[in-house]
Amino acid sequence: MRTFRLAGRHLLQDARHFQILFQAAFLCYGIGWLGWDAELGRYALVFGTALGVQAFFIRWKGLPASSWKSAMITALGLSLLLKAGGPLTLVLAATTAIASKFFIRFNGKHVFNPGNLGIVLAALLTGDAWVSPGQWGSGALLVFLVGAAGSMVVLRVGRIDISVAFLGAFAALEFARTVLYLGWGTDVWLHKLSSGSLLLFTFFMITDPMTTPDHRGARIAWSMAVAAVAFLLSWKLQVYAAPIWALVLLSPLTPLFDRFWKGERFQWIRPDAPRLPRHATSN
Amino acid sequence: MHTHMMTRTLLGAVALLATGQAMAFCGFYVAKADATLFNDKSEVILVRDGERTVITMSNDFKGNVKDFAMVVPVPVVLERDDIRIADASLFRKLDSYSAPRLVEYFDENPCQPLYLYDSVMENVPAAATSTRGEREVEKKARSYGVTIEATYTVGEYDILILSAKESTGLKQWLLDNGYKIPATAHEVLDPYIKSNLKFFVVKVNLKELQASGFNSLRPLQIRFEHPKFMLPIRLGMANSSGEQDMVVYAFTRTGRVECVNYRTVKVPTDRNIPLFVKERFGRFYKDLFARAWRREGRNAVFLEYAWNVTPNWGGMKCDPCVGPPPLDQQFVDAGVNWSGRGAQGAQVFFTRLHVRYGRDKFPADLQFQVTPNTEHYQARYVLTHPAQGDLSCSEGQNYLENLYYRRGREMDELATLTGWDVSTFRSYVREIGDRLPPERRNALDAPLAPFRRPPGGGPGAWAFLALLTGALLVAWYFARPLPQVAKGNV
Repeated sequence: MRTFRLAGRHLLQDARHFQILFQAAFLCYGIGWLGWDAELGRYALVFGTALGVQAFFIRWKGLPASSWKSAMITALGLSLLLKAGGPLTLVLAATTAIASKFFIRFNGKHVFNPGNLGIVLAALLTGDAWVSPGQWGSGALLVFLVGAAGSMVVLRVGRIDISVAFLGAFAALEFARTVLYLGWGTDVWLHKLSSGSLLLFTFFMITDPMTTPDHRGARIAWSMAVAAVAFLLSWKLQVYAAPIWALVLLSPLTPLFDRFWKGERFQWIRPDAPRLPRHATSN
Repeated sequence: MHTHMMTRTLLGAVALLATGQAMAFCGFYVAKADATLFNDKSEVILVRDGERTVITMSNDFKGNVKDFAMVVPVPVVLERDDIRIADASLFRKLDSYSAPRLVEYFDENPCQPLYLYDSVMENVPAAATSTRGEREVEKKARSYGVTIEATYTVGEYDILILSAKESTGLKQWLLDNGYKIPATAHEVLDPYIKSNLKFFVVKVNLKELQASGFNSLRPLQIRFEHPKFMLPIRLGMANSSGEQDMVVYAFTRTGRVECVNYRTVKVPTDRNIPLFVKERFGRFYKDLFARAWRREGRNAVFLEYAWNVTPNWGGMKCDPCVGPPPLDQQFVDAGVNWSGRGAQGAQVFFTRLHVRYGRDKFPADLQFQVTPNTEHYQARYVLTHPAQGDLSCSEGQNYLENLYYRRGREMDELATLTGWDVSTFRSYVREIGDRLPPERRNALDAPLAPFRRPPGGGPGAWAFLALLTGALLVAWYFARPLPQVAKGNV
């Protein structure tokens, strides 16, 4: 029994395990319950490419092998959000996502959230990729699930502040426009906020500790800025996957925030982990 | 009174030509479940190209034409040339072409040589083009805070384009001028006014209607450029309980149209069902749709058809075709201005969406996006006729045994799809068993027992919730601190 618990604790020491488990659960939910087109070959392609490219860089840069988990998270994120016409588009998205971590770096951190950049580049470069914001439906149940499970993940990682700041700011702006200004009922507002894609973004994408400011205050300000840009994009330009575009636009500001507000650099594996080496694996 | 409208943008989409599907073995088209099955339904043709939108609204108004009135929010003040009359046959044409279909296959006799069947295609002449009429009307409405931006007479319709400052004045103006709007309309008029929408309001001009020689009201078509790509369903919802059906025929250059603020799901397709459904296909599809709609939580948009219909495209147009494919002229009538023989690489992609909406499950207007998704899809149900003739050879006997089980599965499928109590059709399975000699007949498994399944709830989200809760509990168990373990001592 004790061995089990120790093994379990070891498992929980790395926040990425949680993220992998939960995102995999959502993927199963999408395929098994929501009836997405379960083209397993396509998912295999995304995972194979992401892990393959990561393995290449692990070799080349001599990184700890455990960084395959980050590639796994990226592959899951892509599978959950990105739709593509041809398989090459998926390969492109997964490759650019992982490679961006090694080529677009500043001050020891990569600049863009890999999954986020992969989606945007695939959409811009090929025109063959898209995001289906409506694919999750808007069941209140799902809201609770994604919210609760997501909170759990970010609580582990210690970056629930990002989710709260982003969602809070986005909800407030939408409330001001939809309910206070336009005069729609609150159900219209809630319907907007209960989009599964928005919550997935809130809890699993924007919270990536490697591409967000280190200092807590800076992080909150930055998250609210992402919310404001997303709000403006969806309102003024009718962009539906607005948070994804907003995050790409504001990610380059993270180094700037880090420069002015110093904070403790995030480490995937908690420093008090009993049996693991104490280095950070930032990739 | 139904009200419909318009639009939105997708980031840099580029057409990717479909490679076409592998040529499947074609059956005969025998029946279709067209949009006329559904009461209280409306039909809309949506054409979207960049920021240009063309909306054609069918008119199935049943009462006295002088009572007809329609209010449609539009994002811009429409010019006279932006409003046209379309031919009602256009809707019938698109409907019959894209409707869920029933196909028949014929088993070959294992004791005899085989026959092949192929699908039927035919061409029909293009529909007549619409006629127009024109007359100017002037009214004063300033006291209501309502501005008449334009007045037109198009065909049998008198049309006004209104803008308003606030909903009370607009509502009063509409009521005073004989437009019967729902009591709850003010809920949405204000948001529309503040979103800078204009109002396209329509009444019938009785003189023009008589002069036109048409007995029924023809569809109205409007076009405009605006990034919004949506249909304002809220104005047409009179109360919270009523549900109405809408079928959307959408055409784009790039690929499928999908809803962005509700789930877009496929209706079940390619199912093998019993032969006796042929006489009941309309009811079958109605019940199938209702069941699928409930299963998806009553707030999904259903995909019924998606296909590349480019007139000069070489690929297979349908499998099988339930009606002749639309022709160039019909695309032009619908508002597709990029097709035609000269247009290089210009593809026309047809998406048919069916949405059943009510106030409680559809709080927000439908918003759409054009995707590069060119994957073909159709709602298709398959009948398979048994082989004819002498089946006494040993392959024939095995065939009958397989047929017996196959019919059992067809019954099961039927019950699952429609929720019908199929026990009254038991003889459909039994008659095959009776054709086997007694010793084989007695060895058959019992004729598939209940033929009935419990009605489905939501999309099974509760099971998912239970799984996740379990996972969370396990995680919590492991995450608890270990009492006697000192740090670094493991």
